[in-house]
Amino acid sequence: MTKGVKLLIGAVLLIFAAAVVLAVIGLKPSESTWVEIVQNNKVIYKLDLSEEKDRTFRIDYPEGGWNEVQIKDGHICIADADCPDHTCIKTGELRSENIPIVCLPHKLVIRFSEEGAGK
Amino acid sequence: MVKKVFAFALLISGLIFSSGCSEEKAVSEADMSSKSRDVFAMDTFMNIKAYGGNADIALSEAEKRILQLEDELSVTSETSDVWAVDHSSGTAVDVSDDTALIVNKAIEMGKKTNGALDITLYPVLKEWGFTTGEYKVPDDNTLKSLLKNVDYSKVSISGNKVTLPKETEIDLGALAKGYTGDEIMKTMEENGVSSAIVSLGGNVQALGKKPDGSNWKVAVRNPFAPDTDMCIIEIDDKAVITSGNYERYFTTDDGNVYWHILDPDDGYPADNGLVSVTVIGDCGLDCDALSTALFVEGYDGAVEFLRSDPSFDLILVTDDMKIFYSGGIADSFTNISGMEAEVIALD
Repeated sequence: MTKGVKLLIGAVLLIFAAAVVLAVIGLKPSESTWVEIVQNNKVIYKLDLSEEKDRTFRIDYPEGGWNEVQIKDGHICIADADCPDHTCIKTGELRSENIPIVCLPHKLVIRFSEEGAGK
Repeated sequence: MVKKVFAFALLISGLIFSSGCSEEKAVSEADMSSKSRDVFAMDTFMNIKAYGGNADIALSEAEKRILQLEDELSVTSETSDVWAVDHSSGTAVDVSDDTALIVNKAIEMGKKTNGALDITLYPVLKEWGFTTGEYKVPDDNTLKSLLKNVDYSKVSISGNKVTLPKETEIDLGALAKGYTGDEIMKTMEENGVSSAIVSLGGNVQALGKKPDGSNWKVAVRNPFAPDTDMCIIEIDDKAVITSGNYERYFTTDDGNVYWHILDPDDGYPADNGLVSVTVIGDCGLDCDALSTALFVEGYDGAVEFLRSDPSFDLILVTDDMKIFYSGGIADSFTNISGMEAEVIALD
């Protein structure tokens, strides 16, 4: 093997490794661990579920009422609420980008968000 | 030699990178930027996404239009056209152009589907509790007596004047959201938006293509697991509207399940082999009316309709867990469920 060929193989391997690393970094936001909690068109929380600790917190609706949001093992759901239909609770954990958790009476939406870190 | 090595390495790296990100050129950043708006109306959640510089104005105008339509079409608001018609004791009622258009379409679709779509079912729907959430199974005699006043052909409309027989009541719920989708898209266009998508309580309607020229990817829910998606279809400038038995239903103590799409023939939940019907077409109003009617008609009726009018596409899910879709979407249909899917044979 000549020195040139060795150099060539080395360079290709190095660039390939760099490409893989960059590709992985580039793919990260589309894994969609980011969610937004939106109340009547206002984003009130933006959370990275892969970083969030298990916790439960309450969101009050200014015109009366509340929803209790639960984060557990990187998943989010509405665990309790005082709305009449409880559709938001029945929806269960947020799973699909197309199916948000919605509480109509309290104008509350939890959905995966396209934008990731830094926003 | 070293130069050659680097040239080759650059070539390789160029190939690697170019395969990953070839899209999104030619469109300016302003056209690509999108604005999104949540609207809580018509007892449902709507999300509209619009692209381009006029998105904000268009979204505000669309929201206004939605609230206007809700005022006209709501069956429970005492100031609506529908309320006035339902409480008219047989006298003629003047309604808005929107209401008149939808009533005309409802009568036309009723005829086209042999009464499978019947807007005069409302008193029966109320009896089941589907309008209030206080569900109960009505007894046969009650249903029989209520069904005497169910007949869409007795709705008479002349210009903007609607007349109903005394005991008859209408509800435009099977058409209102489809029409709203159409009107949202019209408002978008009037305000200079050429690329937009709306999700209206499970229904989707798109204006044009995505700004980068690609099709919209729309997911249809799995009726057997409504919190998951069943398939993805690619569309541009079309409505995708689903009627499913999972949307509103209740289970009695003896384990029977009753859903909100009723068969005008007997007043019971339509149980003709389908659990979900998705209609894809240019006009949201048509698709909405058809999705309900074809759910009632069942598989054979739906396929017969497709034969008579191939301008629509369908995705049917049967109660034995099979998906059937029309040939027109064969290239854009991706099954992501565990169910079998096959193209509807039309000959």
